Amino acid sequence: MRRGLPGWLVWVLGLALALGLPGATWKGAAPPAFPWQSLLPAAGAVAALAAAAPLLAWLGGPDLARRRPLALLEAPPDLLWAALILALWPAAWGPPGFQGWLLAFLAAALPGEVRWLAQALPPERPFPEAWGKAAVRRARRLVLFRLWRRWLAARLPVWLTATLVLERVLGLPGLGTDWLTRVAVRDRLGLAGWVLVLAGLWALSHARTEDAA
Amino acid sequence: MKGRLLFLGGLLLPDLALDPFLGSLAPSLRHPLGTDDLGRDALLRLLVASARSLGFASACALLALMLALLLAWRGRRTASALSALRSLPPLLFLLPLAAVAGGLSLTATGLLLGALAAPHLEPALRARIETFRQSPAWALERTLGAPWPSTLRRWAPWGWQQAAALFPTAWITALWGEATLAALGLGPGPGHDSLGRLLAEELPRLGSDPSPLGWSALAAILLLAWTSAGPARA
Repeated sequence: MRRGLPGWLVWVLGLALALGLPGATWKGAAPPAFPWQSLLPAAGAVAALAAAAPLLAWLGGPDLARRRPLALLEAPPDLLWAALILALWPAAWGPPGFQGWLLAFLAAALPGEVRWLAQALPPERPFPEAWGKAAVRRARRLVLFRLWRRWLAARLPVWLTATLVLERVLGLPGLGTDWLTRVAVRDRLGLAGWVLVLAGLWALSHARTEDAA
Repeated sequence: MKGRLLFLGGLLLPDLALDPFLGSLAPSLRHPLGTDDLGRDALLRLLVASARSLGFASACALLALMLALLLAWRGRRTASALSALRSLPPLLFLLPLAAVAGGLSLTATGLLLGALAAPHLEPALRARIETFRQSPAWALERTLGAPWPSTLRRWAPWGWQQAAALFPTAWITALWGEATLAALGLGPGPGHDSLGRLLAEELPRLGSDPSPLGWSALAAILLLAWTSAGPARA
């Protein structure tokens, strides 16, 4: 706990900043309602990512982290994927909407997450490769199972930021936009709630780190 | 790294002259990508905006690396605070600041991006420095009790060499950070033309009527991403 104290101080500072955010709106604006309707699509997108990334890392193994095509897919910023979807989306299909957002989200997040997980896998030469394919698959599965919760907690805030960029470019209200609106209307309590959620996610990933240590 | 530092000169490029009477011209031999709404040659604007973005990224990356070096050397006790800072999404952190300050100036954006990138670069740098700290060379330095100015003179170039290895990562982080902020309308004002600002102007028409300038900006971003991509990115 003492080792984590400076980290908690950062979150307390963040909370104080959120609660003490200066400024006021010209006209007293009511805080926006939480976008509950966006929660299910966001959870669906995270679930798709949380299932696809470990699966691909399991199939590809640690060598995947050094593959050039994966690095090329990972290199462009989230912004580019959203802009490309916007530019290439056929007009006859109507606005990109949730499908376009999901596509951009997976294109932006999946390559990076696969590499993140592949890098965390231990080397397989000479063992467990010498024991056969079944042993390799089992070793990868065990590592990924152990890593999964911590990875999810550590990466959720990053995905939230990606979501904000994609939502803004594709004009789709969602969780990222909620943070932006609360900043605009100076909803200090709402922002404090967000900071607490982010702190909780950090604590979850941090606790697992200390367990591992 | 030296090649990328040359882009710092891009920050000194002058603004292009405006001529609204020549606005939105179609591509021609004289203007290969046409002109933008304010009559600037689109190709020239793309080149100037790219050079400025690259120069800005180089300046931010330098700042981030210096801070990361300092944190990696001195910040053992603050490892937990740095971990918390790493899990705070930079964009979410910058939004309230930009709102409070009524927008961020070029210098403020650069300083903030550099400060926010430093905690992300610190773990890789710490790993290199810890190896050195456990080496016989450092043990000898401590045993002989060399004064710190002399230690600094001998080892600072080595430390900077270690930091320089992370320059491409810091550079690309700063480049995309500025582009994203500018595209969201939170970056420096119209006085600083950049790739992100170009995209911010072109994004609304990408869905219905993409212009050659919009496509070229997207192509420039993709090209920059691919030329700087490497499996060793941290």
